[in-house]
Amino acid sequence: MTASDKGARILVIDDEPQIRKLLKVTLTAHHFDIEEASTGEEGITQASMHPPDLILLDLGLPDVQGLEVMRRIREWTSLPIIVLTAKDREADKIIALDSGADDYVTKPFGMGELIARIRVSLRHVAKTVSEPVLRFGLLSIDLAHRLVELNGERVKLTPTEYDLLKILASNAGKVITQRQLLQQVWGGHTTETEAHYLRVYIGHLRKKLEEDSTRPRFIVTEPGIGYRFQMQD
Amino acid sequence: MERHWAYAWVTLAVALLTYIFKDLGLSFDPANIALIYLLPVLLSAVYWGKGVSYYAAGLGVLAFDFFFVPPFLSFSVSDLRYLVSFIVYFTVAALTASLAARLKRELQYSKLKEAQTASLYAISKQLSAFTDIQALLHNVTAQVSDTFQTEAAIYLTANKEEDEVRVAAASSAASNWGSGEAELVIANWVYRQGRMAGRGTTMLGETTGLYIPLRTEEHIHGVLGVNLGTAVLTADQLRFLEALGGLAASAIVRVKLSEEAKLAHLTAESERIRTAILDSVSHELRTPLAALIGSAGALIEGDSLFSAEDRMSLLTTMQEGALRMNRLVSNLLGIVQLESGMLKLRSKWCDIEDMIGVVLKQVEASISHRRVRVELSTDIPLIQGDEVLLEQVLTNVMSNAIKYSPDYSAITIRAQVEGRSLILMVSDQGLGIAANDRERIFDKFYRSARTGHLTGTGLGLAICKGIIDLHGGIIEVMPNEEGQGTIIAITLPIQQEQVVKSHQEGMEQE
Repeated sequence: MTASDKGARILVIDDEPQIRKLLKVTLTAHHFDIEEASTGEEGITQASMHPPDLILLDLGLPDVQGLEVMRRIREWTSLPIIVLTAKDREADKIIALDSGADDYVTKPFGMGELIARIRVSLRHVAKTVSEPVLRFGLLSIDLAHRLVELNGERVKLTPTEYDLLKILASNAGKVITQRQLLQQVWGGHTTETEAHYLRVYIGHLRKKLEEDSTRPRFIVTEPGIGYRFQMQD
Repeated sequence: MERHWAYAWVTLAVALLTYIFKDLGLSFDPANIALIYLLPVLLSAVYWGKGVSYYAAGLGVLAFDFFFVPPFLSFSVSDLRYLVSFIVYFTVAALTASLAARLKRELQYSKLKEAQTASLYAISKQLSAFTDIQALLHNVTAQVSDTFQTEAAIYLTANKEEDEVRVAAASSAASNWGSGEAELVIANWVYRQGRMAGRGTTMLGETTGLYIPLRTEEHIHGVLGVNLGTAVLTADQLRFLEALGGLAASAIVRVKLSEEAKLAHLTAESERIRTAILDSVSHELRTPLAALIGSAGALIEGDSLFSAEDRMSLLTTMQEGALRMNRLVSNLLGIVQLESGMLKLRSKWCDIEDMIGVVLKQVEASISHRRVRVELSTDIPLIQGDEVLLEQVLTNVMSNAIKYSPDYSAITIRAQVEGRSLILMVSDQGLGIAANDRERIFDKFYRSARTGHLTGTGLGLAICKGIIDLHGGIIEVMPNEEGQGTIIAITLPIQQEQVVKSHQEGMEQE
């Protein structure tokens, strides 16, 4: 655990008492400070009065739609928000991520997964000074010189492949939606054909970086959502 | 017009006979000549009916009197005995004429009857072939419309509870005769009273339509309406229409009964499925619940009794039970979505290789020592499909392969292109599926007898089939030819407008 995590205040906005209890007990045990809100309105009020370090937001709230809660919080702060969703709500996840959520966790979730997501989100906030070289195990990306090395050997990437890798790697651990990638690499409006190219380029990147592209170590697919650059432990 | 020709022919025939016997001097006894004048009478009776034959008789008597009875070339009669001859001649002529005319009428009538019977028979044969009520009704209205050269409509109630009839079928889509307010009122009256009404009947005889009830012994099923305009049906035509109505009524009853039987069968089938669901679901839900409740209870009540190891094993049991319930709930939700048609494809370009990677990660924990091999041919294009659902299919298939095969056995995932299809095969060396189960294995809640002690709901493959069907693909089972085991083969269409993956290779230089 890094220093930045310690004592971080987390606001849980969820209408289910059982889920709140589970989160409170386990996250407190992992040294987080937990505050609870059982409705969307309450959550918005609490977030504005005592801004937490991170918000866990259930998208299926009974009063205000979870997405609406997020939009209203996003109006004044960029503090990390992780949304909790049901498994079959892919469309909601994408909307949430595209409108400002930092990450998502699908219910039912494993506690290990949730804590990993929380740490990644907190770390991205804490990281103020941008590092010139990103290192992930045997892979290093020199942002200043646009150089990528794997196992100490230079990997030749096309400009598009490099841009994709850079976006994914500088958000390491966080999910990036297909739309976010398309917008940042191709810019502006995107078409079906470009969505097609995205698949193709990710395939090329994997061929160059992964030993076995059916068992990727770096670029992991989040089905229906996008991609996540895996943190290397 | 034909009448006039008939009179002309008769006149000509009498004149010709007179000419032959008088001028050519064929001398006969006058009594014989009178007999010969009966000839045109007979012929005209057979061909043209009574009127013409009476005319022939009169003309014959006049000619006979004028030319052959003394004094010749005069209508006067010298011998009064000839008057008796005239009377006899007339009687014979009248009798034969009426007999011949009646014979002819009867012949015509029986011909007409035969034609009507034949056409009714043909119609009834045709109607008995229909299994769909709409098609049947359209056929009947078309028949009526053809026969009477006008519009026809059939009125039925919308369902059993209703007592208002409305237009169920009309002979021509162009005219909306039959659906007017007045027509509906009469049709409903006919339906309730069970009596015919409209044109030519005692009830509302001045309207243009004629309405007859479609009746079988027990009750009235609807009304047949015909737009007659200003015409009135003959008794024969009316009888024909009624017979047609009777046929239509019994055909409607037959189709309705068969539809009801089908519905009853479906209800029984869904009842059976519901029972199966209940049995399977209650077992599948209760087992993990029992494990969860039992373990949690044990931990709460006897916390101090357990060693750390015991506690861990109880907790593991709880986790397994919960995961199993989670799978069941996902599968149940999946099947409900599929069956209710709520499941919509969110089609995008999918990379099969990527998908296999995701699936392998999903089943990572349960693979244990099975050797998983992936064989991808290099020419695999992206395909259009719902990434999440296809991945779910592949995960289900992979989980089955793992579940029903022994540890240390091999599982192979193969993808190749054949024509315009992508074929994905997962082969295992497990239990295998008996030949007679290969179709049924995709039915929901069906589980092969071989699965024995291995728990499951019988929903996984049903969901897979539902999803693959939505993609326009095929999923099938075949025996694994390398020894025992199963191959599940999924065939998915490759889209024409495909930008082939390899086209992109090297399109961008560093």
